Amino acid sequence: MGEVHTGLLQNSGEISESTCRQVLGITAGETVRVSRRPIVHALSPERLTGVDCALPAASRSRVRGVGTVVSRCTVTGGRVAQGSSYVRVVRSEADRRLAWSHYLARPGVVEVLGKAKAADLAEGFTGDPAPGCLDLGAVSGRFLDLVQASPLLDRRAPFKIPRTSLRWVAETGEPSIRFTLHTEQERTLRLTHPGPFTPAVVDLCEDLATHDWLLTSLLVIVERARIGTTPGAQAVARLAPAIDHLLHLWMPAARVEEWLTPFWDSLERRPGFTRQWRSLVDRVRDQVAMNTLALLSASAETGRR
Amino acid sequence: MTPVHATFGEVAAERRVASVPLSHVSVELGHLYMEDFEAGPARLREQFRRVAPWLATVRSLWRERVPGGRARVSTCFLVDDYFSRFSTPAELVPMILEAAAEHDLTIDYLARESACAQFEDAQSNGVELARLVEDRLVDDPPPDTDGSRPPVKETGWLCNGSRSPRTAPVQAMGKARPWEPPVQNAKRGHSIFVDVELWDEKGPRRTWSCPFLAAVWQLLRLGLLRSDGRVPLPPVALDGGWPRDWDDLPAVVRLDPQAAPFSAYTTLSVLSPRFLPVELAVRTILSQVAVDDEVLRQIAGRSEGEGVRLEEELVDRISYVFV
Repeated sequence: MGEVHTGLLQNSGEISESTCRQVLGITAGETVRVSRRPIVHALSPERLTGVDCALPAASRSRVRGVGTVVSRCTVTGGRVAQGSSYVRVVRSEADRRLAWSHYLARPGVVEVLGKAKAADLAEGFTGDPAPGCLDLGAVSGRFLDLVQASPLLDRRAPFKIPRTSLRWVAETGEPSIRFTLHTEQERTLRLTHPGPFTPAVVDLCEDLATHDWLLTSLLVIVERARIGTTPGAQAVARLAPAIDHLLHLWMPAARVEEWLTPFWDSLERRPGFTRQWRSLVDRVRDQVAMNTLALLSASAETGRR
Repeated sequence: MTPVHATFGEVAAERRVASVPLSHVSVELGHLYMEDFEAGPARLREQFRRVAPWLATVRSLWRERVPGGRARVSTCFLVDDYFSRFSTPAELVPMILEAAAEHDLTIDYLARESACAQFEDAQSNGVELARLVEDRLVDDPPPDTDGSRPPVKETGWLCNGSRSPRTAPVQAMGKARPWEPPVQNAKRGHSIFVDVELWDEKGPRRTWSCPFLAAVWQLLRLGLLRSDGRVPLPPVALDGGWPRDWDDLPAVVRLDPQAAPFSAYTTLSVLSPRFLPVELAVRTILSQVAVDDEVLRQIAGRSEGEGVRLEEELVDRISYVFV
């Protein structure tokens, strides 16, 4: 299970690859991994956080888990920042808390002391977790803050857009995917995949979170432009940040391992992420075209006179 | 047309982690403070007289354990040039080697303690091993740590449980808060609470504590540290004589060209009992260091290939003889 927080990098423009490396260099002696095709994507080294707390269970039964959370930050296209954390929940062999070195030898694993049902925990985590339970959102949020607080950023973002959070649970079984929008900023994802869990699943969730955030942000910008009720030039001015900063970032499933691409594909069929994105992009471009035409004909008018 | 399967790779997107050659065991023949050296060669000879039988024992134990009896044992000696500097390598090192030879001991590698903090030469390009380890500390969480708050840290301190709550001086009308004990996290019956000072800072200069540097030293001997994927401070053979300045001495000097590798699956340190508290602190620190996954996998794979079963937790790969 994991949680991804996504937001606009607090900088006036896109940051360069070398700045990305510095911003994400959160551990001494560890390199930031950067891939350039088909879009620049930088991934920080992984950090661990120790936890010993109740795990969220839908049945509200008390389940204690001890272990470490893996966290990392990413910057996509020099523009979109993420803080992402996850754990793998396994049954503990000993029924008591062991020396800390035991848990450190299993990074990213939280061991459950006592009995717990996987379905109960999955339901609890994507539902409404009780306070005091494992809070991956807080951990991810802190890692995103870490990126956003970098002194290398000028903190002059071109527009304000809220962060989104994607809480996900992956289980082994017959392939299925369920993406749910809750409030404006909260999403959950239930994923069932064949074979054991691998970090490739985390890549998929981060990729989905990035694109969901892009879609959400573009929707907000188009909404704010009040197309049809405000004068054309004004609407276009309000759409400008989307053209400058977002439209080129849509690269679904670019870094998703091949065996997981069918999950993206099925989301493309229903609800159709790319379909919605394209219709929004067309709408933005049509507005710009219309406005250009209006300006051209206006100047032609004045020329004739 | 048959579909074409494309693969595409980017070097900057991959992680490359170098591997180190490994012995079965790295035996530390002693760790002396500068004041021990000041006491002269007699103190050194006494140290080596006590150590010699233990080295022989370790050798024979590993010969039994390794298939074919071909145990790789390397020996090392750490000189403390961090907290105080005494004499010069040109005077001191030959004295150590001589005293060891009197008891038929060979020192394969000589290391400088200050290199565990920070070391700079043309090859290493300035490695701050201590910072490297500091960034990999993962605090042992007391119960009810759910991730909602950043881990409670006393800057520069690391403990193995929950500290005793601060008891503020009782105010005039205030109610006195009774003392509460600290609690060890994974206690067995009763707590043994350990709180270790990692460093102190006077102005801009940070002084790392002796246990912290000793923890770095153990990680270095276990071959578990990497800096940008490379092995930091590989042993260097010395050409020419011993330098007159500690700063001109490589971090780890290989004294015997035929010696087994410096880093090893396990370590053994033969120390005086006065190091007991330091080593308890070292273990407290080491049990909170997250070592690179890839490095652990490399070592596990290699040892399995050799038929040597290693302890999963790295603190269990370290042993001591206190004499």
